[in-house]
Amino acid sequence: MSALLDTSALGKRYRRTWALRDCTLTIPEPSIVGIAGPNGAGKSTLLGLAVGLLEPTEGAVTVCGRDPRRDPAALADIGYVAQGAPLYRGFTVGEMLDFARISNPRWDQPLATELLARSSSATQVSALSPGERAHLALALALGKRPALLLLDEPFARLDPLASRELLRLLMEGAAEIGSAVVVATRVLTDIERVCERVVLLGHGHVGLDGTVEELLASHRLLTGARRPLGRIRGVEEIVRERSSGRQLTLLVRTNGPVADPTWSVEQIGLEELLLAYMAPEELPSPQPPEPSRLRWHG
Amino acid sequence: MQFHLDQRSGLPMYLQIVQQVKEALRLGLLDIGDQLPTVREVVAELAINPNTVAKAYRELEREGLVDARQGRGTFVSSTLIASSLEHHESLRRALLAWLAEAQRAGLDAESIHALVSRTLREALDRRAA
Amino acid sequence: MAWLTWRQHRPQLLATAGLLLLLAVAAVVTELPIRAAYHRHALSSCLPPATRSGCELIVGHFRSEYAARVGMTRYLAVLPALAGLFIGAPLLAREFESGTFRLAWTQSLSRRRWVLSRTLLLALATVVAAALVSALTMWWRRPFDDVGGRIGPHAFDVEGLVVPAYAFFAFAVGVLAGMLLRRTIPAMSLAVGIFVAVRVGVETLLRPHYLAPLHRTADSVAQSARGRDWILENRLVDSVGRQIPTAREDLAIVHAQRARVDPQDYLLSLGWRRAIVFQPNDRFWTFQAIETGVFVLLGALAVMATVALVRRTSA
Repeated sequence: MSALLDTSALGKRYRRTWALRDCTLTIPEPSIVGIAGPNGAGKSTLLGLAVGLLEPTEGAVTVCGRDPRRDPAALADIGYVAQGAPLYRGFTVGEMLDFARISNPRWDQPLATELLARSSSATQVSALSPGERAHLALALALGKRPALLLLDEPFARLDPLASRELLRLLMEGAAEIGSAVVVATRVLTDIERVCERVVLLGHGHVGLDGTVEELLASHRLLTGARRPLGRIRGVEEIVRERSSGRQLTLLVRTNGPVADPTWSVEQIGLEELLLAYMAPEELPSPQPPEPSRLRWHG
Repeated sequence: MQFHLDQRSGLPMYLQIVQQVKEALRLGLLDIGDQLPTVREVVAELAINPNTVAKAYRELEREGLVDARQGRGTFVSSTLIASSLEHHESLRRALLAWLAEAQRAGLDAESIHALVSRTLREALDRRAA
Repeated sequence: MAWLTWRQHRPQLLATAGLLLLLAVAAVVTELPIRAAYHRHALSSCLPPATRSGCELIVGHFRSEYAARVGMTRYLAVLPALAGLFIGAPLLAREFESGTFRLAWTQSLSRRRWVLSRTLLLALATVVAAALVSALTMWWRRPFDDVGGRIGPHAFDVEGLVVPAYAFFAFAVGVLAGMLLRRTIPAMSLAVGIFVAVRVGVETLLRPHYLAPLHRTADSVAQSARGRDWILENRLVDSVGRQIPTAREDLAIVHAQRARVDPQDYLLSLGWRRAIVFQPNDRFWTFQAIETGVFVLLGALAVMATVALVRRTSA
């Protein structure tokens, strides 16, 4: 069986700038993959290429073994929610479902209506809250019963409650149809609790790719006195180095236990880990403000 | 039954589910033949990855506590009431003795707590790996 | 798919239907007195080849009485352009503006099917509406066409098969402009620009030559002689067929007036005649068929270009 998503040396150039380059990824089986990275890192481009909206400049992409641009049959296997969840504003919720039913031979109306149980089908799309819009867009994608679900910044502009609701719906849908889910997001906290694998994009390149367990197990935060750095046993690579005063803090990738009593070794959270990879350069230590100037900025 | 998850506990989510099922088995809240909530129900409740729930249920099955019946759900196949309760008292006494020893060694309540939770986490990590 | 197209373009389609209804009512109301006058003056007995005496006077009176109203029908020539403006241009441009093309193009249907079915369904609606307008206009203009002919642009442009063909072309150009520019207002401007340019170009450069025009020499030198034909050229020539320059004609007229002679008689006495190049009225349907073919072909090319662009677009 072919992989759900497979890209090889995939690249996309707009005029002179490469939005994505040399991207090789495989999603072999249903899992939840987060594509993280700052604005302009190439997340939307990667998703657009996977769903056939964009033509690759170089390399190739297949979904379930099919080229989404050459073979329209591939589209039935892909659920896609574009950034901003575009919908027909003049339609009602029920009419949007009709649209999806007409446009998809494998459409699962009971599933879609069940997932949307909370909103009335007579409501105008233009009257929906951002959370409800995102909900509807996701239900439209899930109703296709796709093998691969691609979501581009689904949580942007949602408040925490709406984000959680959307995540709940996404997980319920994924459990029902057993599809792989790829979520492009700037803010990984939104999907941290469900994410099995993280792909970090930066300037169009894959900076980091691994399961969350692997990534967390292979990175440690070391704190100790400032000193010239030699080899530390168990450390494969120093990702980020920060010093303040006499203290030195290292984020390291490990290849074994760090058994050096002069370092205090701590686990690192996924969010902080990704931020370190996004901005690895050393930043100046923040200067504490003078006590009299302390103000409460609620 | 309902699960509740604590993201800051440091314990993997699937283990939290495993522990909560075991806890319910110990307390007699679940009995042989009872059905565990379906993966989809848990997922809809907690907004977590379905694979996490599936992994927890597989772990419980591996330990012989539940039975997965194809297409029907996951059912409790054994109970922990007897096995655990009879050990509780002796374990509690051993723990009290250890605590007294720790206090003699000069550890205050906070250090004891930190030591216990770190050791517990490491032990579970090792088991999980 | 038909439902979806109807649902997405409901406002435009309803507005079109409303416009048709309005036109029909206006046509009936204004036409009734014209028909009454036509029968009262027994104008049908003045149609060629009949040679009733005093006809010229009756026809002249009839035409001048309703000249303003007949002139109004010229404005119907703008209707096909509206199809390009309000149905064609927004079809794709609005999908781009609202980002919904990303929704539409990622369903299970191929883009080719998506764009082709919507375009053809709306083209059909446009053509039907335009055909109704054309039929209505033909009915309304019937008395004037009987006496004045309909091969001339004043009637030709708003009657027959060309009206639906223009509408189809305007619509198709609108859709293509929407695909190229991706924004509704600029696409509307481009569509109207192209439509007007092609329409005027075809009318002035191509249409006079669909069939070789006929030549005739009129005994009269009066310029206002109006028949039922489309006069392409009307020149004053001397007895051997050379054109008389305007200055010379003016000089001759002044000359005659000074001598208190009727200028017409004077010019005739010089052997001058009017050489007329024209397309006869009975070529109406032939010309309609040819021009319809031209615009249907151009419209079809625009549709094909649009489909190719939609399929190839990477956005």
